[in-house]
Formats: sequence, C-alpha cells, structure tokens
Amino acid sequence: MTEDTLIDAESASRVGTIAASATGEVNRRDWQRWAAAVGDHNPLWFDPDYARANGLRDIICPPLFLQYAVLGVTHLEVLRPDGSSGAVSGSLAFPRAPKRMAGGESFSFHLPAYHRDQIEMVRTIESIVEKRGRSGSFVLVTWYTVYRNQDGDLVAEASTSMIARP
Amino acid sequence: MTGKQVSYQVFFEDVGVGDLIPALTVTVDETQMFFFSAATCNGHRIHYDREWARTVEGYDDVLVQGPLQAALLARAIGDWIGGRGRLVSFSVQNRAIAYPGELLTFGGEVSGKRLTGEGAGLVDLDIAGRRDATVLMPGTATVQLPRRGTPS
Repeated sequence: MTEDTLIDAESASRVGTIAASATGEVNRRDWQRWAAAVGDHNPLWFDPDYARANGLRDIICPPLFLQYAVLGVTHLEVLRPDGSSGAVSGSLAFPRAPKRMAGGESFSFHLPAYHRDQIEMVRTIESIVEKRGRSGSFVLVTWYTVYRNQDGDLVAEASTSMIARP
Repeated sequence: MTGKQVSYQVFFEDVGVGDLIPALTVTVDETQMFFFSAATCNGHRIHYDREWARTVEGYDDVLVQGPLQAALLARAIGDWIGGRGRLVSFSVQNRAIAYPGELLTFGGEVSGKRLTGEGAGLVDLDIAGRRDATVLMPGTATVQLPRRGTPS
C-alpha cells in the first residue's frame, strides 16, 4: 500500500482473517429494551401466549437484535475519541480515514433465537476496498458474520459494511 | 407495551406483486436516539454530541443511527407479516443521513413471490426508509408467509 491510499498496510493485511469472535446469551429484557427503543410492540417479542399461538415455543428475539446479544463490555478508557468501541469491527483503525459510519447490513435468518440461548458469533473481514464517491474517497469494509446457537445450529448469517472517510 | 393487539394475519395467497405494505411514519427524536444507543451499547458521539457532530464530523446536527432506521424498517415488515410470518432475509444500505425531528417513512412493495421445494410461501420485498422523496435506506427483504389451509 502506498501513501496515497486511505488503507494502511496493517489493515489491508487483515482481509480474510477473523476480526472478532464472541459468545453471548440472548436475554429477553435486553431485546425488549431494544424493541421499546424502536417503538416496536410486536407481541412475538413480548407475549408468550401470542408466540405459542403462532407456532413458537416462547417469545423470540427480534431478528435484528441478535447482533447485539453477543456484544461484550468495553471500558471507557479504550473507547476511540469518537466514542465508538471498535469491538465489532475488530479494531480496524484507518488512521487516514478516521470518520466512520455504517454502510449497510444484509442478514439471512435461519432459526429463531430464544431467551437464554447461547450465541457464538464469528466475524471475518471479507474485503477492504477504497472507493470514490461524490464527496471524495472512502474506505468500504465488509465483514461476514456467522451466528450459531448452543446446539451448533446456524441461527443467522450477516454481511455488514462500514464506510470510513478522511 | 400496548394492550393485546387484534390478530390479523396476511397469507401468501393474499399478496401480489406490486402490493404495498403499510407504511410506518416516525419522527425520531433525541430521546429515542438515546434509548437506541443505550440498547445497542453504541457510544458513538455523532449520535448525541452535537458539537462533535458539527465541528469534528461536519454535519449540521447529530445523526439518527443507521441501525435504528434499519430496525424501523424491520418493524414495518414485522407488523405486516403478523404472528405467523417470518423474516427470512433483510438487506439495507445507508445511503443518506437523517437528523432528529425529520418525518421519516418506512415501507415496502412486493417484488415477487415463490414457493420453496418444501411448499413454503416466500415473498420478496423492495423496502426503503425515506424522508419525503429522498431514499435514505434502500433495501430488500424476503419473508415467509403462511399458506391458507396449513397449520404453520
């Protein structure tokens, strides 16, 4: 990598490697707080009788919450100056492109997740490419993530991306 | 939590290409943004520190979280597919930013429907979060809807 690219050699060398892996327990209070913050009153997340009447054995975790069930604990001292933790991104830094925002996310959901399911997440760095948009060059990072439950069953797959700008 | 909802279930047979799913209209405010950041352990100052958002990152105000917009889109889908519907896939891109106080609309349109080899009814959707005519978050989703006359 040369100096006129936004992608430093250390980051570029990590394509294909595991960015992060984590295990977390799905917790109904956590997903219900998330749903409440979204204003999402779907009774599948809240009402066991309703969930059972609809073919589930209990209330289920909202599919989009699954990604947060494995979040670890980040101490204040290790936050970046912008307040973000870097934990989910595998601490890719991009010193030449420090402003980051979510690019997009693409999920496939295979199984419901229930309260107290143990989820194992493995996230690999799929690609790091520099692109040029209307407002100049930016870095597009794409991760591929797999979520499995305590039985080893595939619960969800995700491809997520982040944009980092100078 | 609101009271028990009256169950209405949309079935695979009921939908056709071009059908619109009911749009969800939301004006996100800073309180909702605070709770969403808390619920997702998101410390990014761009969502709560206006001075940081303006002076360091060059925006006019704090930004509505992209994942909150995605969650609002998924909420609109979940409300439409009902208790027996399942979200099979969900894909969105963050195309434009949104500020608190703006009226945002989340909706979708049926782009296709098909049966799997096992006979499950899948419906494809083009989905989007919008501010007026501006598409903030385009995407696609696939949902499974129950078929009439089947138990699940």
